[in-house]
Parts: sequence; structure tokens; C-alpha cells
Amino acid sequence: MKDTRFAHLKDIPSAHLLGAGTAMCAGCGGLLAVREIHEVLGDRTVFVNAAGCMTLLSTYPFTPFSGSFLYTAMASAPAGAQGVRDALDVLARKGRLAPEDDLSVVVLTGDGSASGMGLSATSAAIDRGLDFLYVCYDNEGYGNTGQQASATTPLGARTATTERGSVASKKDLFGIWAANRPAYVATAIGSEPVDLARKVEKASKIRGPKLLLVLAPCPTGWGFESDQLVEIGRLAVKTGAWPLKEVEGGKIVHTKVPPKRAPVEEYLRAQGRFAHLFEPSRDEATLASIQQSVDAYWRTVTVG
Amino acid sequence: MSGAVYRVRLHGRGGQGIKTAGRVLGTALFLEGFEVQDAPRYGAERRGAPIFAFVRAARGPILERGAIQRPDLVLVADDTVVVVPAAGVLAGVTSRTVMVLCSEQPEDVWRARLAPKGPLHVLPLPLEDRGATSLRHVGMACAGAAARLLGVVSLASLRKAIETELAGVGRAAIDSSLAAAERSFVALSEHAGAAAPGEPIAASGYERPVFVELLCEPVLEATAMVHGARTSELVKTGLWRTVRPEVHAELCHKCHWICASSCPDGAISASESGVARVDYDHCKGCGVCVVACPHHAIAAVPERSTEVPK
Repeated sequence: MKDTRFAHLKDIPSAHLLGAGTAMCAGCGGLLAVREIHEVLGDRTVFVNAAGCMTLLSTYPFTPFSGSFLYTAMASAPAGAQGVRDALDVLARKGRLAPEDDLSVVVLTGDGSASGMGLSATSAAIDRGLDFLYVCYDNEGYGNTGQQASATTPLGARTATTERGSVASKKDLFGIWAANRPAYVATAIGSEPVDLARKVEKASKIRGPKLLLVLAPCPTGWGFESDQLVEIGRLAVKTGAWPLKEVEGGKIVHTKVPPKRAPVEEYLRAQGRFAHLFEPSRDEATLASIQQSVDAYWRTVTVG
Repeated sequence: MSGAVYRVRLHGRGGQGIKTAGRVLGTALFLEGFEVQDAPRYGAERRGAPIFAFVRAARGPILERGAIQRPDLVLVADDTVVVVPAAGVLAGVTSRTVMVLCSEQPEDVWRARLAPKGPLHVLPLPLEDRGATSLRHVGMACAGAAARLLGVVSLASLRKAIETELAGVGRAAIDSSLAAAERSFVALSEHAGAAAPGEPIAASGYERPVFVELLCEPVLEATAMVHGARTSELVKTGLWRTVRPEVHAELCHKCHWICASSCPDGAISASESGVARVDYDHCKGCGVCVVACPHHAIAAVPERSTEVPK
């Protein structure tokens, strides 16, 4: 982390590149992250959106972006990004686009698309070595349509389609992406803005497919008061439920290791989607299983 | 009575239980043997944005569809939506429409403001909800009030509907919902049956929509394209707010990047003096900055407690 201009929170630009007045929920964790990412990338950016919550950022004739926004179908954002990148490259080759006028291409996608129907197009874009930044805001369900379960819904979480809590575990998108060996892969969260800014900065200096998985705490879908957004994010990191990491030179590096992990219960208790694990009686088996999976993960992590 | 349809509209903000209130009322009417429709109106807006739910009930088949244009009963869980034109609280209200407002303001204030031609009742806000980030039980209070004003729902059916619709949210939440619904059910007992069902809509009263001829345009003109940057700032999402963050300049340490960087909407910036400044045109009142400020320099003030909105 030597080559970074972000040492402190105040180093993060606040040019308000992402305009206010969007239809995102009050206290949206995805919006917080997208706003931070836009600030770091600057206004010479094309956002290619897969259908999801962030579709509502740009509802004609309104857009919050300083750069461009292209809306694509749910499964095809990486293909849309390929088209934009190719068009820019062709213009540059023909001398019609000066190098300083080039744009960076960013995909915005929710976890429902990223872990489901969009996975194929993402994998193909990595195979082709597409030069783009793929940002998945992960609110662990199909939030835009009322929080139905997605492949990234964690064990025990109640959604509109898992009323007694999900029996499946969260799909490891980071692992799937990393196995494809793209140029850069990282996880992040809006409540750790310096860590997020450094990762976006690093990705923007690398050519090729760069993928960023951002946990997006969702007040409506997860069942917490909107003012708890940052607190929920901190608990996710502090309990080890959301590891902050990146792949550098084929090696996974953890960018923020909780010194003494708090029990994952602290994170679960703060959210309505896990309330049934505590009331009317404690579901010890599921709680133990969640804690064990967090512990098992961190046992594999070598620090330093 | 045959063919008559009860038409109820519930207004409030996303997160106040309006959708659930509609479901509870619908289920309670169903338990009383009615044919029922209940649905929330989904828009692109979210928690904090004005929303409504509607319920129709009749003793026979209901042939109408869509949002209710001529309500018999309108319940407003959050009095701040009354002034939002897009919320449509007063749409289709006539002298036979019964109105209920949950408000800290007394009835005569609302009579003076709205000059309703029909009956109007004010439900005082439940004590535990005053000043809270969200008004958790106002939706349920509206469901209880609606059940009583229709006069065809027993307290037993109302209770059973709440148990059914809230199953799975935990005993404590069900009990407090039952209490909120029952309180307003009892409070309006002398007005039982005040909201009468309206006549079914007849084809003879049908008004044809006006069709607009659209020209076939070249694709670049017909495609939705926006050439400006940040045009979203024309949308005043400040109207969503139920709670307003107020910066106390004397407590503010001018480290505005802490509150500003935690604001999802980017609605905080620094003033010339370095004190944090909230953009009230766009702040949705999520309260993240209130919690984030290490010096407790930002207070959460209920929007309704201020006389003049900024």
C-alpha cells in the first residue's frame, strides 16, 4: 500500500461526482460504495449497469452520474462493457480519440445477477481479458424486487423466499473470480472508505479484468434502521463475517485483519433477517454453524 | 348493499408498515367472509418515500382493478405526506370519504388546513413512536382504525389477521402491533361503521382516455438519452425525510469528511467556515451522519416538530 494517495479519510476526494436525488433507499449501503468509487475513478467513466437496484440511479430523464451510464439486461453487463471498450479502442486506433480523452469502463451489478445469470458473461469477459472494472454491490439477495434469496444469501438469513432462514451457504464469488485469474480481485465495504479507495485506485492502474465485491448492507432487505448502516458494516468486518482482501500476484492478501474477532452473533443480532435465530428460542445449531464457518475461514488465513 | 364495494386507501412512507397494514386489513375482511383485493403501490421510490396501499372488499366478486380513484376511507400514517403532491392523499376524496390522520396536531388544525367536506379523525401518535427514526406502529394503528370505521370487522378477526400476516417476525413485534391496532380500534368505537361502501363502478360512467398521437421518430430522438450530468439533483428527495439531521455549529469540529463520507447520498459538504452543511433538498433523513459524528454534533430532529420546513 505504498503507492497510494489515500492514507487518511480526508484524502478521499469529495467532489460530489455522484449527484444526490436518486431513488435509492435512505441509508443504502450500495449507494455509499458507488458514490465512493465514482469519487476515486473521476468523471471520465462509463458505468454499464446490469438490471438491479442501481438501475434506479438513472431513471429517465435523471442521472446522478458525472460520466456516462448505459443500461443493459440483467445477464449481459460484461458484454455491454466489452462493446463500449471495443468502441473506445477502435476510435483511439483511428486517431479519433486522444489518449487523455479515453474513458474507463465499469460494470455495476448486484449480487443476484453477479452470482446467477450474469456469471457466464462475467467469466467470458475475464477469459477475453477485457479491460474493465466489475463492481458487484452485494446485498445478499434480490433487493430491488423485495429481497428474495440469491446465491449469495448467507446461511440462516431470512428473505422473502426463505421465510425460515436460508439453508444454503453464501456462494464464494471472490473464490470463483480468483480461480479465473483476472488481473485484480478484491472485496471491500463502504464503511471502510480508505480501504475501498485504495483498492479502486489500485484497480484503475491495472489493465485487464478487475473485480470488486462490495458488501452492501441493506436496511430494508436486512432489517435494520437506516442510521445503523456504518455500524452494521463495521460489525461485518470486526466479526470476520466479511473479510477484506485482495489478490496480488496470485496470492490472497488480507487488507484489514480484525485483531481479535468479535463473536459473529454481534453482527447477526443487529439485523432483523436473523431475528428468528434468537427468538422465540435460540437456534444453537445454526448459530454454531455460522460461527464455525467464520472460524474455519480465518484458520486458513496466514497473516503477515 | 349488494354489489357495493369498500374502497380503502392507506398512505404513508416506505418503512412505516403501510404495505403490511393493507395486508392485515385485507386478511381481516377476508376472515369476515368478504372477497378482498389488497395491494401496495410499488414505485421506484424506497424507504422514506411516500407510498400507498389499497384494499377493496365486497360481498360478491370485485370487478375493478388497479389503484383506488374514489376512496370511501383514507388513512394517513404520516401527516408529512399530505403536502407532497405526488403522494395523492386527497385524490378522489369527496364529502362521503372518511379521513383519518395520525398526527401530533389536533383535529381542528387539520380541519382548518384541509377543509374536508367529509368526516375527519386524528389519531394521536403512539407514545413510544414519538421522535423515533421510523414510526414503527403507525401502519398497524391505521389498520385498527380502518377495521373499526368499516364496522364489519370484529376485533377477533383483526387480531387473527395480525397474527397471520406477522407470523415469523417474533412475539414481541406481534404483541406491540396488536396493541397499536387495538388502541385505535377502541379509540374510534363511537364511529363504528362510519365509512360506508360505495357503489360499484358502472360502465355507463366510463370516460374514455384521451389518446395522444405519437410520431414515428428517428431512433436517436426516440431513444431515452440524457446529455447532462447529475440531473438527478432536480429531484428533491428531501421530501422523503421524517427526521432531519441538524448540525450544531458549536459542537462541530469541522472534520466534515467523517459525516460527509458516510452519507450515502452525498448530501453533506463543508460550508465556508468548515462546519458540516446538510443539503436539505436531497437529504433523505437516513440518520447515518447522526450516528457517525464522533462529537455528537448532529442531532436527529423529527421533521413534524418543526413549523417551517427548510
